[in-house]
Amino acid sequence: MQVPSAQPARRWPLYLGVFLVLILLTVIEIMVAGSGVTPPALNVILLALSFSKAGLVAAFYMHLRGDHRLYTAIFVLPVLLLMVFAVLSVLI
Amino acid sequence: MSQQAMTHAEDYSAGLALGVDHRKIGMWLFIASEVMFFGGLIATYLHYKYTLGFPEASRLNIVAVGVNTTILLTSSLAVVMALSSIRAGRSGRMSVFLLLTILLGATFLTGQALEFSHLYGEGVTLTGSVFGSSFFTLTGFHGLHVLAGVVWAIVVLVRGLRRAFSAERNMGVEVFGLYWHFVDIVWIMLFTLIYLIP
Repeated sequence: MQVPSAQPARRWPLYLGVFLVLILLTVIEIMVAGSGVTPPALNVILLALSFSKAGLVAAFYMHLRGDHRLYTAIFVLPVLLLMVFAVLSVLI
Repeated sequence: MSQQAMTHAEDYSAGLALGVDHRKIGMWLFIASEVMFFGGLIATYLHYKYTLGFPEASRLNIVAVGVNTTILLTSSLAVVMALSSIRAGRSGRMSVFLLLTILLGATFLTGQALEFSHLYGEGVTLTGSVFGSSFFTLTGFHGLHVLAGVVWAIVVLVRGLRRAFSAERNMGVEVFGLYWHFVDIVWIMLFTLIYLIP
């Protein structure tokens, strides 16, 4: 027995759409990195793009968007801790 | 035994005592521990990057790694399509997407091996500099996770060919997918932090 999934069986148009957005964001990332934008604006833009990509994968491919909130909490808490550590490692 | 206690006992034996599948929550807890594992490596890399500076980073080929990133993103699409297929009862199509996942994962690893080989040719080695140590440790551990994912995908594929999954029973595919997508997310962050941000 298993928990019925919140996701319908046929969702390939959504998955394909998310994939195309992920590829588009990757291309934009590479273009921005090669443009004349300088830090810290460059870092903010690139981090925003990569977090957007990670969020899309987690929400749609890992089904956090429609799944039990407990899974989201388990995932997001260590990510927040990681972000704190990452900022501290740069500042210290 | 009361009716409530019996219901709880049935849920417990079915792995649903928390209202969630125990295999799925186990994988999410594992992923949480992996976030902290990679978090330590990423924090170390960033610390040395901003205290020492990494001039060797200019030798990294952003376009080639961008192509490799696209390959890994495509593999994530293949995995979610495999899950979607088995949920629709299409076992054969699931096997095709799992095979595609295996091939794409192997291609990513080949690209990473070529990159490592190129960097060693340029004199950037694991023990030669702080950049080399932190870069190869971070990306190498990610590569090992991809390798483990490829092996796992082969196991899921073989089980699928033996009709272990169906439209109703597919948690084995879903749990594997969670792992694979997490490895993809780690690479999305590494691509930005190592290759793109100066």
